[in-house]
Amino acid sequence: MTTSPYWNPRHETFSREETQALQVHKLRRLLRWTIDQVPWQAQRLKEAGVEPDSIQSLEDLRRIPFMTRDQWMEAQLADPPYGPFLAAPKEAAIRYHMTSGTTGRTPIRVLDDLKDWEWIAEAWCHGFWGFGIRPEDTVFFAFSYGTFVGFWGAHYCCEKIGCLVLPGGNMTTAARVRQIMDMEATVVCSTPTYALRMAQEAKSLGIDLAKGPVKRVILSGEPAGSIPATKQLIEEQWGAKAGDTAGMTELGTIMMFECEHQPGGAHIIENHFIEEVIDPDTDEPVPYGEMGERVVTSFGRGFIPILRYRTRDFVVKVPASRCSCGRGWDIYEGGIRGRVDDMKLVRGTNVYPRAIEAIVREFPEIDEFQIHLYTADGIRDEIEVLVEIPNQDVEREGLLARLDTQLREAHEGLRIDVKEVETGSLPRFELKAKRVKDDRIVIGGSGEKRES
Amino acid sequence: MQNWMGYELNEAEKGLVECYEKLASILQNEGEQLAPFEKRNALKALACLWQIANGLDMDPGQIYNMEIE
Repeated sequence: MTTSPYWNPRHETFSREETQALQVHKLRRLLRWTIDQVPWQAQRLKEAGVEPDSIQSLEDLRRIPFMTRDQWMEAQLADPPYGPFLAAPKEAAIRYHMTSGTTGRTPIRVLDDLKDWEWIAEAWCHGFWGFGIRPEDTVFFAFSYGTFVGFWGAHYCCEKIGCLVLPGGNMTTAARVRQIMDMEATVVCSTPTYALRMAQEAKSLGIDLAKGPVKRVILSGEPAGSIPATKQLIEEQWGAKAGDTAGMTELGTIMMFECEHQPGGAHIIENHFIEEVIDPDTDEPVPYGEMGERVVTSFGRGFIPILRYRTRDFVVKVPASRCSCGRGWDIYEGGIRGRVDDMKLVRGTNVYPRAIEAIVREFPEIDEFQIHLYTADGIRDEIEVLVEIPNQDVEREGLLARLDTQLREAHEGLRIDVKEVETGSLPRFELKAKRVKDDRIVIGGSGEKRES
Repeated sequence: MQNWMGYELNEAEKGLVECYEKLASILQNEGEQLAPFEKRNALKALACLWQIANGLDMDPGQIYNMEIE
């Protein structure tokens, strides 16, 4: 059985009917626990007329009210430091983590106990085992090991699997690259941005990563892990397979992973989560194949029950049959497609940073880039893409013109200036990259002032 | 031994679920007799065994009350 390609063979090969029966059963159990332990949630559920035994199918899930990040932050501010969400006394907790602050001003603070922490690693195990990580692997974590949960759960997952773990916190990029080579790491975990950063550093050190020991790169923390051009670049530079994962501090762990068969998307870990996809404007569910917002219900973290949490992530769900791996778990095609909050409106055109990155990464000559928005003449939105091209032998004019054309064609003819900047002048990132610099003083064409 | 879905556990799985139940029972009812090294290691083991019982759909419940001194 230890040769199984699945971490939990029975759950992972369930039929859709079996998976849904499991989810309904766990949902009732979660509701009982939540109503008993969390008065704030119990009140909301009572007002919505939701009782555990009234849940007969996943259709009934829709009667449960949504929970938003704003609600979480407001309730946390009103009842600091954790808000009214804890289902167990904080004396039972062994870990504290907080959000990285990508969205919103107030970080979300979470606690876990021993059992939840093991569960967090368990969810990661589905992903790592599914991507082919085994006890004989040596896994390097290019991760800062702070209060941002990041790869913490993955670290414990690797210990659980039996890998040799190399915790690469508090090291320079050069030291990390050298350790990966010296210790013959077979797996590297990092954000997509930092995987490229390490590849740049290796080049400057005269190290050819593609001829090195690394066979797999596990990506997380940014949507770029599922952008084909970015992934291809990482795979070429590392000479390794790159697999995407995605998680959230609010869940403590990952809820999707790419399996070894790499069907162009990531499987949803459906024995631990219910993932709905809805139209963010109407709140109605969208069918397979259509883009919508992820809404998550989590069965694992008992300390903070999560019911129908609006994630603001854009995804496209497709059936499990899209993949040949044998799992019965549905797939988010193309991973996380972006965030509702990421969208920028520039002279009436929607601009998504992920879409720009997908184009920029088609040009391997470009090392780093930044999307800069600013106000011209006090009234007009402008957008420019700043790029670094370190190789002096590259023919600039043609490359910049081709990039300009592709960006324009992908954005309804929107004028997007493309400019080369000095190599090394743009910021580099270890965790979540922030490549959008919005210096506008006026949003859109209506003269609406920025709030912050 | 069957789980709530009607799946019949094999002997090895049954043994692990019985371990979980036995350990939970000791911590619940006789935890005060345990030295720190006994209790805290038992709790850590229980947290791992919980994952097995949960993965086998045996409804292992919550164990927070056992984790508070």
